[in-house]
Amino acid sequence: MAYVSMGEAHRRITEYLNRFCDAVSYQDSSMLCRLLSFSSNSPSLLSLADALNVFQDASSLIRQSDKFSEYGEILAHLFRSLQSYRVGNLVEAYLAFEKFANAFVQEFRNWESAWALEALYVVCYEIRILAEKADKELTSNGKSPEKLKAAGSLLMKVFGVLAGKGPKRVGALYVTCQLFKTYFKLGTVNLCRSVIRSIETARIFDFEEFPRRDKVTYMYYTGRLEVFNENFPAADTKLSYALQHCNPKRERNIRMILKYLIPVKLSLGIIPKDELLQKYNLHEYMNVVQALRKGDLRLLRHALQEHEDRFLRSGVYLVLEKLELQVYQRLMKKIYIIQKLSDPARAHQLKLEVIAKALRWLEIDMDLDEVECIMTILIYKNLVKGYLAHKSKVVVLSKQDPFPKLNGKPVGS
Amino acid sequence: MAAEQKATTEEVKMDLFEDDDEFEEFEINEDWVEKEEVKEVGQQWEDDWDDDDVNDDFSLQLRKELESDKK
Repeated sequence: MAYVSMGEAHRRITEYLNRFCDAVSYQDSSMLCRLLSFSSNSPSLLSLADALNVFQDASSLIRQSDKFSEYGEILAHLFRSLQSYRVGNLVEAYLAFEKFANAFVQEFRNWESAWALEALYVVCYEIRILAEKADKELTSNGKSPEKLKAAGSLLMKVFGVLAGKGPKRVGALYVTCQLFKTYFKLGTVNLCRSVIRSIETARIFDFEEFPRRDKVTYMYYTGRLEVFNENFPAADTKLSYALQHCNPKRERNIRMILKYLIPVKLSLGIIPKDELLQKYNLHEYMNVVQALRKGDLRLLRHALQEHEDRFLRSGVYLVLEKLELQVYQRLMKKIYIIQKLSDPARAHQLKLEVIAKALRWLEIDMDLDEVECIMTILIYKNLVKGYLAHKSKVVVLSKQDPFPKLNGKPVGS
Repeated sequence: MAAEQKATTEEVKMDLFEDDDEFEEFEINEDWVEKEEVKEVGQQWEDDWDDDDVNDDFSLQLRKELESDKK
């Protein structure tokens, strides 16, 4: 830390206090944002933090002036947090920041207009990030991490302040998105439900009126939730919305949307073009798509095995595993077309033995009973139209449309 | 300093509390014109790929296999 004299420290602290109070009285939201952005590590905040650590008794400075003492509680907690933050004591920094945030929200609630909405966004963002850092500190000291959970409760409180009627409502979606990020990280995604209900049932406020960046983030997370719930048509709608409205410059976000949208589309029988996979570096899906195109069950298995960790972590493994039935359908169609080339009259009869042989070639060992079972499932799920002649061990395909397309609907619906 | 911190915190591997796919934060004031480019991304899908072509490698090998020891 560079040397700071007492006089200099005093000057910096007073300057900050003046700026803060002016920002509030002139309703200068962007100034307030800058004064609160801890994680930006801006030089002016860092030098203020150094000054606070030299001066030590900033609260007496606050008390001395009426102008400052009006926001005394807010400022005192904020200063304490910044001091701890600067010396790397993140749990202490979090605790003080939480107190600051509570006091700030209380003040915000009393302001009639929504002028300070952006500053409130900064507070919401900072508390989440600070909580994550504090939790890392706790775990590395062998203690149980609990600050992010606490930040979630505070964000929920902020949501309550915004979610009513009036001009502040437009901020509710930003806080919702911060809550989503918190709950996804904590693995408590079921907590998202009540917030979603509040957003989606509000008749007084049209979703389209929220800021674009929040709508995109919201659709990304609710889309992912629909993937977990295996509600693929809804996941398709939400993730497609996020994709279409995302900032084109945010390639990482586009890639993340696609990471979930691709398995969803595949499960609806829609495949991405290779350029899309290449452009966004989604090579893990290349072979899955190829397997689907060809009817290559072996390739599907290998592709799932190869990227198992990745698919499991993002939660799309089960979605991809279910593509197997579509790959079976494709393989049956190939067998049918090949039979048609040599014997058109009897092509619509698929012998179980022939199917077993094709499967053996793909390193899948099944006896005829097992093949029959698979074919029964394909017929039941409407991926194959026809019937099973059990005695003669043949699947007799319907002459009309024996392999119905999914047309954007999930298998078996 | 920010970069340094990031590097060290990332080393602390936590088994709890991770989401690999956390959406990148947009700037508070970030807004953008929706360009055709992204709309195109939305069009890079095929729902009618299920053709009758059996001239690809996989199909040719499958055919060979199926027709191998037919009397």
